[in-house]
Amino acid sequence: MLLRDTLAPTNLAMIYLGGVVAVAMRCSRWISVTASFVSVAAFDFFCVPPYLTLAVSDYQYVFTFAGMLVVALVISTQTARLRDHATHSTVREARTEALYRLSSRLAGETRVFEAARAAASLAEEVFGARIVIFLPEDGRLSFSRRTSDLLPVPPSEESIAQWVFENGHRAGLRTDVHSNATALYLPLRGAREIFGVLAVLPDPAGRIFAPEQQQLLEVFGSQTALAIERIMSQRSAEETRVHMRTEQMRSSLLSAMSHDLRTPLASITGAASTLRWQGDRLLLETKQELLESISDEAERLNRLVGNLLDMTRFESGGVELRRDLYPLEEIVGTVLQRMEPQLEGRAVLTDLAENLPLVFVDDVLMGQLLSNLLENAAKYTPLGSPLEIGAFEESGTVILEVRDRGPGVPPGDEERIFEKFYRGQSEKMAGKVRGAGLGLPICRAIAQAHRGTIQALPRPGGGTIFRVSLPIRSK
Amino acid sequence: MKPLILIIEDDAQIRRFLRAALAAEGYRLQEAITAEEGLAQATARQPDLILLDLGLPDRDGLEIIQQVREWGKIPILVLSARGREQDKIAALDLGADDYVAKPFAVGELLARIRAALRRSSTRADGVGSVVRFGTVEVDLEKRVVRVDAQEVHLTPNEYKLLQVLIQHAGKVLTQRQLLNEVWGPQHTEQAQYLRVYIAQLRRKLERNPARPKYLQTEPGVGYRLVTEE
Repeated sequence: MLLRDTLAPTNLAMIYLGGVVAVAMRCSRWISVTASFVSVAAFDFFCVPPYLTLAVSDYQYVFTFAGMLVVALVISTQTARLRDHATHSTVREARTEALYRLSSRLAGETRVFEAARAAASLAEEVFGARIVIFLPEDGRLSFSRRTSDLLPVPPSEESIAQWVFENGHRAGLRTDVHSNATALYLPLRGAREIFGVLAVLPDPAGRIFAPEQQQLLEVFGSQTALAIERIMSQRSAEETRVHMRTEQMRSSLLSAMSHDLRTPLASITGAASTLRWQGDRLLLETKQELLESISDEAERLNRLVGNLLDMTRFESGGVELRRDLYPLEEIVGTVLQRMEPQLEGRAVLTDLAENLPLVFVDDVLMGQLLSNLLENAAKYTPLGSPLEIGAFEESGTVILEVRDRGPGVPPGDEERIFEKFYRGQSEKMAGKVRGAGLGLPICRAIAQAHRGTIQALPRPGGGTIFRVSLPIRSK
Repeated sequence: MKPLILIIEDDAQIRRFLRAALAAEGYRLQEAITAEEGLAQATARQPDLILLDLGLPDRDGLEIIQQVREWGKIPILVLSARGREQDKIAALDLGADDYVAKPFAVGELLARIRAALRRSSTRADGVGSVVRFGTVEVDLEKRVVRVDAQEVHLTPNEYKLLQVLIQHAGKVLTQRQLLNEVWGPQHTEQAQYLRVYIAQLRRKLERNPARPKYLQTEPGVGYRLVTEE
């Protein structure tokens, strides 16, 4: 009322327009449009004679009102649009950022469960709601395979999740299906199938049900599903490769088995049946020979089966190292003791450096490695040629060597002799295959299990050096 | 009278050849197929030695060892599968006397049986005061050790270890048993001490410590002092 006396009515109109701008800055478009009308009405009511009525005495004012209304409407709609635009780009920015974080977090994952867990925890952060992803087990969705330790939804809703998994439609809270559920269930749909179900327990304010949040949630779900799909297809490619390798191995194993196991069995059966049916007609000397061949061949069969079992155990990861600190000398001594009968007629020189550090190994396996190497040397070098066992320390490793004066490993075969079922060329040509080709592969498996290496090197002056390097345990 | 051996083994073929081999040596035999039956016969017949297969159909063979040890010192020789070192150690720690890994040659089995029977019959009189093996001579009374007639100085722990091994000559002792007897029950996990001492004893007693004749290692299980050629 005071202002009415001091300011001209046109200037008073400006104050009302200012109010419209203030409202438009804060409130939605419809409120600011309403404010435009109200401000014109109020201007009429308070500032245009006759005061305190909506009647107008001077028709000049009708033009003022119209102009004022137009200006107020333009201001209010434009301000509201500008503000909407700003909010939108903030939302878009947040959304882009969330999706970027999701894809970068999922990119490195190689396991389905870990990917789902990463996606769920990120989603909880982004949406401010409790989110858990359920994954199928044996083709059925299960609440037990879930990304969070807590189960935030009642177990009775497992059937809803299962329905979502089977039908690929959302269900639960604020949907057409099971709308009285505590959570909203969304399918994780990939390109070909559904990989799981995402359950959302909304925040009390229900912000997650805003259309743009729902849209983002959908994108989240499909990104996660695609990541899972990628992981699964990578894995199935790997499985196919492994399967092919296994098949290949199995067939070479079968051929090796049928030959190597049958040969000693044939001699045992032959010798035993001869003794049984013709025993009374045989010379004592012949009987003795047959008996010897039975025990020799049985021993050979035993070694073979042992090797096969060991290799299988190594490959299935069933070997547990029982490591401790041992003097290498003790392991060498035990092996030589045990192998005395097989090494008969051979000079075996031991050349172990003084003051070798203790080695941190599984003594049984390390003994097996050494005896396989000695057996191998005894098999592939001329009878009577000397063998040598050496050990020394070299730049943080203990080196154990078995040296022979045999024909040496043919160039190009240095690596292949450590492969399963591989037999040296000379052996094939000679037509006598005496092992299953497992001795050296087992050596390599044992060396590797100890984080060591094994190689075959040509020996100066003729022969081969099998060198095992074992890291010295750093205390 | 020849010693009575109780065979507890479920495999018929193995029993068959054990029967043949042991009977040929003149031993008297008793057979059991299950742990239950084995325990009953061990109590009723009081055999001089038990040959025990660890993989029995009704119960773990280790239980038999435990139960027999509750009332007696009958030598128990365990037949175990190859590569099951943990089983061997468990059997020995429970009081089994020795083990033979399947498949085994009869010669080895008979030697182990003879050694176990001899140990149990001489246990009463104890070990003589002077023990000789190869070029080594140990005077247990004067605590003097000679190799090739030359006196060798042993540290107290080395001597104690040798003494324990001599007491159980021919028998395999687990690392735990040796550590317990030499260093006491609170040191049974420190196997590397033991290995270092064994290595030192070998350097002092063996001609070629890298190929020991007397102080033999049973890989993964323990040690055995071999006093016979």
